[in-house]
Amino acid sequence: MSQLIPSVPSALVRRLSAIVGAKHVITDPDRLLVYESDGLTAYRIPPRAVVLPGSTDEVARVVEALHGEGIGVVPRGAGTGLSGGALATDNGVVLGTARMNRILDIDPENRLARLQPGVINAHLTEATSPHGLYYAPDPSSQSTCTLGGNVAENSGGPHCLKYGVTSRYVTGLTVVLAGGRVVQLGGATGTRHGSLDLVGLFVGSEGCFGIATEIEVRLLPIAQGVRTLLGIFDTMEDAGRAVTAIMASGLMPAAMEIVDQATILALEASVFAAGYPVDAGAALVVEFDGTEAGLEADADRAEECCIAAGAREVRRATEPEHRAALWTARKKAFGAMGRIAPDLLVQDATVPRTKLPEVLARIAQIGESYDLKIANVFHAGDGNLHPNLLFDRQDTDELDRVKRASNEIMQLCVDVGGTITGEHGVGIDKRDYMPLVHNETELEMLRSVKRLFDPEGLFNPGKVLPSRTSSASELQAGVIS
Amino acid sequence: MTVSRATPLTDVVSAEALTLPPGGSARIALGRAPDAVVAPSSVEEIVELLAWAQAAAVGVIPVGTGAHVGDRRPERPYIALSAARLRGVQIYEPADLTLTAGAGTPLTELAVVAGEHRQWLPFDPLDAPNRTLGGLTSAGVTGPLWAGYGHVRNQVLGMTVVCGDGRTLRLGGRVVKNVAGFDLIKPMVGSRGRLAVVTSVTVRLFPMPALDRVLVLEAGEPAALVPAARAVATAPTLPASIVLSFSPGAASLLVRLHGALDTVEADQRMLEAHAGVSFSVRDGPEAEVLLATTRDAGADAEVLFQTSALPSELGALLDMMRGALVGVDSVVVADVAEGSARVGLTGAGPSDVVHAVRVGAEGLGGTVAVDRCPFDASPALLSTSLSPAAREFGDGLKLLFDPGGVLL
Repeated sequence: MSQLIPSVPSALVRRLSAIVGAKHVITDPDRLLVYESDGLTAYRIPPRAVVLPGSTDEVARVVEALHGEGIGVVPRGAGTGLSGGALATDNGVVLGTARMNRILDIDPENRLARLQPGVINAHLTEATSPHGLYYAPDPSSQSTCTLGGNVAENSGGPHCLKYGVTSRYVTGLTVVLAGGRVVQLGGATGTRHGSLDLVGLFVGSEGCFGIATEIEVRLLPIAQGVRTLLGIFDTMEDAGRAVTAIMASGLMPAAMEIVDQATILALEASVFAAGYPVDAGAALVVEFDGTEAGLEADADRAEECCIAAGAREVRRATEPEHRAALWTARKKAFGAMGRIAPDLLVQDATVPRTKLPEVLARIAQIGESYDLKIANVFHAGDGNLHPNLLFDRQDTDELDRVKRASNEIMQLCVDVGGTITGEHGVGIDKRDYMPLVHNETELEMLRSVKRLFDPEGLFNPGKVLPSRTSSASELQAGVIS
Repeated sequence: MTVSRATPLTDVVSAEALTLPPGGSARIALGRAPDAVVAPSSVEEIVELLAWAQAAAVGVIPVGTGAHVGDRRPERPYIALSAARLRGVQIYEPADLTLTAGAGTPLTELAVVAGEHRQWLPFDPLDAPNRTLGGLTSAGVTGPLWAGYGHVRNQVLGMTVVCGDGRTLRLGGRVVKNVAGFDLIKPMVGSRGRLAVVTSVTVRLFPMPALDRVLVLEAGEPAALVPAARAVATAPTLPASIVLSFSPGAASLLVRLHGALDTVEADQRMLEAHAGVSFSVRDGPEAEVLLATTRDAGADAEVLFQTSALPSELGALLDMMRGALVGVDSVVVADVAEGSARVGLTGAGPSDVVHAVRVGAEGLGGTVAVDRCPFDASPALLSTSLSPAAREFGDGLKLLFDPGGVLL
């Protein structure tokens, strides 16, 4: 690979080093391997260099230097993304936010926090919890993923069923745009009257408009109480019906998550074992939070829905440790898959909730027809599926079957009124699926909006948009599905 | 059909779509009444109309009911494009808690349809019964219920829009989580029809709460209620909304709690302990009347503007406004959780009052934006303090969606 990727000119390395310090400019090929993929390891492209600035000013000067040379900038948080969004396509240089990890201000009176993009999601809640506050969006990778990455991807998480995704909580941004220009967007004091929602547009732009260097977020009061149920089902279809019944009953769970038998087997054989019964067809985690007084009644009603849908057993997590174990297992499910196969392709399609039983049955059929292992773990309340296609990338035939099965699943989800990605983003992984949900007029509008912020196409080039200057040949030089 | 400057409007739209002269459109824009009100019944008709307007150098202002767009001053003839005939629920699957409807569907109609399944749209902007779904999303106004349910911008899942040059775009979809491409819904919500004409909207619905209770505290002056209001806003629970309203001589704090009876009563006890007060309670029809009265206070005001500051500045903001409003027939409705306030004025001296409040709000780090002012008000009254970046990228988006500038 190193022969295919031009090194960064030494004069430019010196200039970058002068800005951020020599030890924060990485050009050693061995060290660059760390950055060759994100959480979706099927795609691998080592960057030509990685730069780790420590402040907004340094980010601006680094961007100015790189863009001045016509070199693309690839923003990267913790590299936990699942769409290949932080890959250094188009010979880009990775701009990592690891050093920008300070919480700048916590304002409990206004329930706001201001922080740098490299702050880890879970660390924000740890810092705000002494004030009785927390940050709501909780991606499964929250113990390692960064808020900057969350902003770029508009990340969700299990509890977004009740509380919504990242864009609901970001009130203001400092961003570095093309050429190193620093711009303030939004702010809690509200210029929202009379101006367009540029913060909302920037959130979820996957690093294609610029890079957020300061983030202002809204915090919520920590719920007084929590009730967590585990419904055990013989079949996935029954679990899906329970989800529909709970939502139709007027309850508002904080989270509703399903893991299937393949996932349960992987989890229970791993260090994250939490007591999910290994002979169950599916397990449904339902959680309620809020004022203590009403929680027991909500949990009772959800239990009735599960039993009516065919649950063979409903357990309550009575101890905090048990609840924590259930959630740790759920959130580490992707990691546990490593016990089944060396590689996985996790999909992220979202379908109308009522279509879940039908879609899950079809996904199982698709898996069988391609002789593939597919493990399902997903945000059932949101209809956000995560079928994990398990494979070994050394097996080229299997890789090809994964690709074809993946296409069929994606088409299926779109056909029932769904979309190609609910929370992981498009990146490079779903770029070629964009025409399934957008016609050419819509794609051209998306390209125009990118050009508005990034006229030369130098922020995260090759991502999101199936552009006319596709970097497909370069991708094929890497290992891709 | 190819249209030109010479093509009569009547060749482009059907007779039943055209209203001449306009009725009930006095508030649509300042200084100039629309030359016609046109209510197309299809996307195709909208495309034709926009092409005609472009060729004829006539502007277009999209409207729902037309009651809430009085914040612009067109410098050329224009047509009000009414969504009245883009009306009706298109897709509603109650178990999905999502609904798609035409832009001209009144919120009252949606409330009936969703209410049959004990679901609702938890938005309570000023004059909600006189708004349409398209108007609501174009205005991007939520009302104080944002505190419990999020803003309109967070609950719009999809939109179909016609750009100024006739391109039709589907933004988002019908599912509650969707990151397939840049989120163009966000700038569209709140763009007040300046980017595109909204033809249909998909929204997320919520289960109706078992109990909708209003806790009430009253006083002669708003300052007496500020400590309780702030205590509620910083208490370890999340009320559905917190509103402090006042007009000369009377002030009230309304805290709305949603949930099962046990939950609501526990929340009430906790808030009372936290704020050190005892609320009076309104449930049922009594609560509905009180909420509607507060929600719509100022709906008929001659001047309507919004102020916004940090929630912790509520006391200072209200003090400042009270000073600026001495002797003025006014009503102020403050969203305590957001730190914003709506001010409605009746009668004399609007420019002076708005200016005084603007200076005061900016001194607190806040802003003022005028939603409505008299037909002949000065342009300075409408000025907003946008940052250069907000103006630049806002103008840039405008050019992308409406390159000919047909949407005023």
